[in-house]
Amino acid sequence: MAVLISLSLSDMLVTALVLGRMISPEYFSFLVPGIVTVGLFTAATDTGRRIWLALREGVVQYYMTLPIRTSGLVVAYIISGGLGGVVYSSALLIIASFAVHPQNIFNAILLVPFMFVLATGLAGLAAFFASISRRGEIYWVYAQALQVSLITISTVFYSAKTIAQYLPGPIATIADYNPLSLAATALRESVFSGQLLNTVVLSNLLETSLPLAALGALAYWVILRTLRLRGKP
Amino acid sequence: MNRVLNLAAFNIRVLLSDPTWFFLSWALFALQLAVYGSLMSKLIGSNLPNYFFFYSIGLMIIVVFESAEDVGRHFVENAHEGELPYFLTLPISRSGFLVSQAMYGVANTLLKVAPPLLAVLFLSENLTVPGTLFALLALFLLGLGITGIMVSLSFIAFKAVDIYLAVLAGLSALLVRFSTVFYPLAVMPNYYSPISVLSPLTYGADLTRWFLGFDPKYLLNPVLAAVVVTAIAVSTLSLSARIVDKIIEGVKVA
Repeated sequence: MAVLISLSLSDMLVTALVLGRMISPEYFSFLVPGIVTVGLFTAATDTGRRIWLALREGVVQYYMTLPIRTSGLVVAYIISGGLGGVVYSSALLIIASFAVHPQNIFNAILLVPFMFVLATGLAGLAAFFASISRRGEIYWVYAQALQVSLITISTVFYSAKTIAQYLPGPIATIADYNPLSLAATALRESVFSGQLLNTVVLSNLLETSLPLAALGALAYWVILRTLRLRGKP
Repeated sequence: MNRVLNLAAFNIRVLLSDPTWFFLSWALFALQLAVYGSLMSKLIGSNLPNYFFFYSIGLMIIVVFESAEDVGRHFVENAHEGELPYFLTLPISRSGFLVSQAMYGVANTLLKVAPPLLAVLFLSENLTVPGTLFALLALFLLGLGITGIMVSLSFIAFKAVDIYLAVLAGLSALLVRFSTVFYPLAVMPNYYSPISVLSPLTYGADLTRWFLGFDPKYLLNPVLAAVVVTAIAVSTLSLSARIVDKIIEGVKVA
């Protein structure tokens, strides 16, 4: 947790500050909510690493001897990813509020359940990749590809308008519907600009996150069931 | 020497047996350059002319840094899986063992960084033989220096792997953020500049850019950068040689 916080803090207090000097002072305020979203992503996707380790080290065999159903185990993992993401991003949001003054703290509280759903979706996605990683270190290939592609093609670092202006339409559309873009937009508009909660953005956030959570839960459930029946994944 | 080469060749064959990492590394490099690099260069505009090229070299420094980290992790992984004690029983000196690890690291780095470097230089019409060779030399020296740091830090993993990974993540964050990998020293606030000159990546990045013809007014003195990059490579490799020689015997990763 301390390492994750220090990574996000250095992003906020070094990278955002220097890029703000290179682009414009407003860019710092633009980037800070994006960094909070990236923090949520990092904490939530740690679920994938934990599942991968549990499968690799055989800890999952121990889990399956516990008096808990397979579906309970799956739900516990996904919820823990969601809670991890929310706790971590809330801590970051509090720290960020010292750097950029929030205009509507009440909206930040209202956004927490949506952030939780987003974090479960990201945890589900990471769980999916961990479950399908059958050989050696291949999980890290998936994890790196997921991280770079989701963060790069999003509105974390640049606005949707900038993407639409300079890149082809399909990339702009992917960036628009990327859950990280939706979360960053919700934070920028509702918490740091003080506008009303945008229901379209929030419903898009739910629509993109819930299927990811379900996909991850299903993949992990299948792998656990196979393990129970065959004794190996 | 023949045994050292055999061991290095064995490690490199293992590396080449799974080319997924290389394709992924090149694909992610291209994605970041095409999306992040092009958009940020538009946003930055004339505040730093040719930011796209500046960023592409920075991204190569990150590839070198991550490859060097791989060598450190590979070393720790060998200890974790029990291969390290086996390697230590081979009729090869400790320094020979370290040289074989370094050769593995160099192969890993060059394979990951050379294709993107050639592609960027070709597309930006900066492709010259001396520029490319000297840039590769700078990246090679930087890679050796970072490898030395990572292998030297591996003794932490002999106490606790989790602490090693945490130290690695924290150190990586500090070395990259407080360096000129993504922004020049000239635009950094005064209170960050003294920290930035402590990062080896600053010297490696600026030296590579200088070899490739980037505007020198945004870069450190190339002679100073070359001296520092060489000194770091020599000193950290000497330190890791000492660690391999004295500390490694009989250890196992927690």
